[in-house]
Formats: sequence, structure tokens, C-alpha cells
Amino acid sequence: MRPRRADPHTLAGPYALGALPPREQGRFERHLAACESCADEVRGLRETTARLAAATARQPPDRLRERVLAEVARTRQLPPEPAARTAAGPWHGRLRWARLTGRWLRAGRRPWFRPVAVALAAACLAVVAVSASVAVTASRQLNQEQASNHVLAAVLTAPDATMMSAPVRGGGTATVVMSHRMRTLAFSSAGLPAPPAGDAYELWLMGPDGDRPVGMLHPAHGMTSPMIATGLRAGDRVELTVEPAGGAGQPTTRPLLLLAL
Amino acid sequence: MTDGHSRWVSRPPGDPGGADDLGALVRRAGRGDEAAFDAVYEQIAPTVYGLVLRVLRDPAQAEEVAQEVMLEIWRTASRFDPARGSAQAWVTTIAHRRAVDRVRSAQAALRRDDQAAAGQPEATGDTVADVVEARLEGERVRRCLGSLTELQRESIVLAYYGGYSYREVSDLLGTALGTVKTRMRDGLIRLRDCLGVT
Repeated sequence: MRPRRADPHTLAGPYALGALPPREQGRFERHLAACESCADEVRGLRETTARLAAATARQPPDRLRERVLAEVARTRQLPPEPAARTAAGPWHGRLRWARLTGRWLRAGRRPWFRPVAVALAAACLAVVAVSASVAVTASRQLNQEQASNHVLAAVLTAPDATMMSAPVRGGGTATVVMSHRMRTLAFSSAGLPAPPAGDAYELWLMGPDGDRPVGMLHPAHGMTSPMIATGLRAGDRVELTVEPAGGAGQPTTRPLLLLAL
Repeated sequence: MTDGHSRWVSRPPGDPGGADDLGALVRRAGRGDEAAFDAVYEQIAPTVYGLVLRVLRDPAQAEEVAQEVMLEIWRTASRFDPARGSAQAWVTTIAHRRAVDRVRSAQAALRRDDQAAAGQPEATGDTVADVVEARLEGERVRRCLGSLTELQRESIVLAYYGGYSYREVSDLLGTALGTVKTRMRDGLIRLRDCLGVT
């Protein structure tokens, strides 16, 4: 009895029961990503199978808990998935790169890739940091500079550091290295064109609780010094706009970049 | 039976208590909070162990796999996304997948091939009467399973508790593949509505 390539909708039942062979499961998951009503149905069916599971609950031997907790103490956790899927709006297509990177980072299929990616990002940001500190302007006080370098180093070396990179509308590339655990990110860019006279790039965090300005970016030699944003909250997005050089209280122009974190 | 049943199963549907607690604990565990993980363990280990044991039947293997499951929960806790479902559903999906992976591993496959060659679906011991009368503890789940048609029930029980693929279920029941898929889906929908799952 050879199965036909059937209407994927009917696979919601076998899928929720964990009864699909791996290949069909992969195919159905791709379908789910594009079919919201299917995903809703699967969600409900999974809650149902969870009840079937609970109906078989049985107290495990005590030694299991001891072993698990001992293992936990020496087992490193994975970083959160970069939740690019919450990004909506006109820049969706532009986030492809970031998502691709994110997928590699989270899939665990290439365990070597994550350290490499983060090391790369760290190297990029370090170069930017050095050149920026050479060109330091008097506009920042030294202790602020040191503090932000310290935070920058902490983010780059955080065990859960992840990197995203995306093109900026109008030219250039933005790179974000983020630690969910520290709720902090470092933002840098390369190749941004000089803003119109009297204007500057401004970085924002946009979240469910409103928009917060992070700071003004001043490209020097085509790069901007790393900008640190702390206190990230769930649902935050990074946005880049062009504003009057003194900064604006809220974004007033069309975003050049919108990155879901 | 022991009294280690996960607490949330005995709650009436719609009672948000336990489920929300578990989700919050998982999220805390995802930030490296080992005490929160310990609490997660307390709440969910009986469900994990019970399900894995139900599928594998061998307590020694069940213990091993339950340990793998709990560690996977620790490792991936930061990726639990409440928007995609409850923490219970997340955990039990992991547990079921791990148990089925073990079942499908080489040795188990060999044993099951022998059974299939003998053409005896009964060899699984997974008769509905068995499950409904003796094994299931949740009153509501038992009652709701009882409200399904026989084919719906057999398909669901063999797939979920037996760890069989839908193709194997189709062979075991001597029923067309398409019918089995459909019965699994409409059976689960009926079960969902009966259990008041939202």
C-alpha cells in the first residue's frame, strides 16, 4: 500500500500523534509554516495528546531526579531562537539573511557554526570599536566609553550570544549581536551612506510598551561604532531611521531597517 | 497507582492554574534557573516517565529515555514559545518523540518486524480494553476515549501509546491508509472537544 502524496491537511491527526515518519513530518511542518488554520488545529490537537500523556502519569524512581539534576548542573543550555517570525511589514524580504543565519544558529545541525559566527561578529565589532575609539570625539566621556566597552565585551562573549545581520534600505549592512540572557544587544553597521546634512541615523527599540530611542549613529569611514541597547523586552524590534541630528523623541521617518529580535 | 500524577491533569478544563505555572517555570529555567527547573521536574516528570514507559514498556529503558527528555527540556527551555502551545504540550511532544525514536531504533525494529511477520496485532497488548479499563487514570480522558468510534480509538491508542507510525497502524488494523489518517484526525478533534481543550 504505497501512500500517495496526499492533501497535507489530513496529516494533522497523525502529526499531532507523532505518527508521521521523519520525511513526511518535515514536509508537513513546511506546510504548517504557511497554513495558519492548520497550525491552529495542530495546536489544539497537541493539547489533546498532552492530556493523553498525562493520563498515563506514573511516579518515576527517585534516583531519576538526582541523575537529571546532576546532569543539568553540567549541561549547557541552548540560546533562544531568534524570533524573526514576529517581523511583519515591508522589510520581510530583507530579513532573509538574518533568518538564514538564525536557522543555522538554532538548528544545531552545524554545531561548529555558532561559535564561528559569533567569533566573526565579534571580530567585526572589535575592528569597528578600535577604529571608533581612535576617532573618539569629545562628545562622550571616557568612563561612559569604558562602561560600554565592558558591556560590549560581555555581550560578545555571552554563552548565548547570537548574531543577526541584515541589509539596510538605502545601502549598508547592520549587524546585531544579542544575548537574551543579558537582555542586551550590540548594534553595528557598515557601508551606510552619509545622511543628508543636518540629519543623522537614530537607533530605536520598538516594543509592545512603545518606542525607546537607543542613540544616534555617526558613520565614520563607512562604519558606526557599536551601540549598546540594554533592557530588551519580549517582542522588541530594532529600528533604524534618519532623524534631525539632535535626535527625535520618536521615529518620524520610514524605517531603513526593522529587525525582530 | 501512585499519587504522582501530574497535577494539572486532574484540573477541570479551563482552570488556568497549573498550566500557567509550568510555562512560567519553564521560561525561568530557560534563563538558567536550576531551582525553577527542579520545580519543572516535580510537575512534569511523572507525565514524562509515565508516557515513555507506556510506549517502551521496559522500565529500565523508560528511565533512560525520561532522563534524556528532562535534559532536552533543560537544554532547550529558552526555546519554549507559549504562543505555540502550552508547556505541557511542548514537554509531552518531546517525550513522545524520544520514546518513539527509541522504539524505532535498530533493536526495537528487529523485534517489531518479528511481530509484524507473525501478523498478530494483538502481540502489542495495546487493546483498547486494556488501555481503557486498566491503564488510563484520567477519568475524563477515559470517558472521552470511550466516546469515540472503535476505529478512531484504536488508531489513536496504537499511534500514541503504541508508538506506531500511521502506516503501521493501517497495517495492524487492516484499514486503508487514508481512512486511518482521517480517523486519527477526526478522533482527536472529538477527543479535544470532549476534553474541553481550548
